[in-house]
Amino acid sequence: MPVEFSAMSQNDGFRQLLHFSIPAESEAVGPVADAISETLSKRGVPEQKLLEISLAVQEALVNAVVHGCKGDRSKNVTCDVQCDEESRIVIVVRDPGPGFSAESISDPKKDENLHADHGRGVYLIRQLMDEVQFERNGSEIRMWKF
Amino acid sequence: MDISVRRRSRVQIVHLRGQLRMGDAVDSLRQTLEEALNSGDNRIVVDLAGCPMIDSSGIGLLVKILASSKRLGGNIKLVQPCDFVLKTLRLVGVLNLFEVVDGEDAAVSSFS
Repeated sequence: MPVEFSAMSQNDGFRQLLHFSIPAESEAVGPVADAISETLSKRGVPEQKLLEISLAVQEALVNAVVHGCKGDRSKNVTCDVQCDEESRIVIVVRDPGPGFSAESISDPKKDENLHADHGRGVYLIRQLMDEVQFERNGSEIRMWKF
Repeated sequence: MDISVRRRSRVQIVHLRGQLRMGDAVDSLRQTLEEALNSGDNRIVVDLAGCPMIDSSGIGLLVKILASSKRLGGNIKLVQPCDFVLKTLRLVGVLNLFEVVDGEDAAVSSFS
């Protein structure tokens, strides 16, 4: 699996820990989530937070692969992990797609959506992370964990 | 993720070991559960004791198969999901769709 790691760099008090560039295929997602979890674990992030971050990253990457890139393996999805001196973490996932309107996503907890087999990813991310922002028309998601 | 299947008292027991997430894990479980339903086995127990995390793809699969099994007069029951899996199912509002049981014996008995 072609994965790139970058050296650390600084931006607004956040230092880059990891950078990934993966082909848009579902099998490339899990190893990235695992690598992020392993790195954050070594930095002392508690287990519960690790699980929440890992799942949110999983969801964001899957959305980028499936919806942003339509599963086109010739396209790449990037993922950057940064943290600051207070151990606040920000994770940014980008895809080259046209984006989407995060506000237009249906509430998966509404009765008419409960039995759907999809449509829970963004909702889960918002529940698991402390802050979530969509940029670049929705083709970039920034997720903070404090 | 590893999947093992066995049959007990006309109930299919599916053991999962590893994360249930998009990709081979969900695809393999989908195949396993669909084969069970297609074979007429609509009483299914999914043992989640060895599953530390389930993503929205895995949740979607379980919800879909639950609906399919009920249409065929059966059900899917979940055994020993860990706290984080319970939390995830609860967060997206689907926990109450499933019967969650403490152990395999109780799950099998509940189909009687």
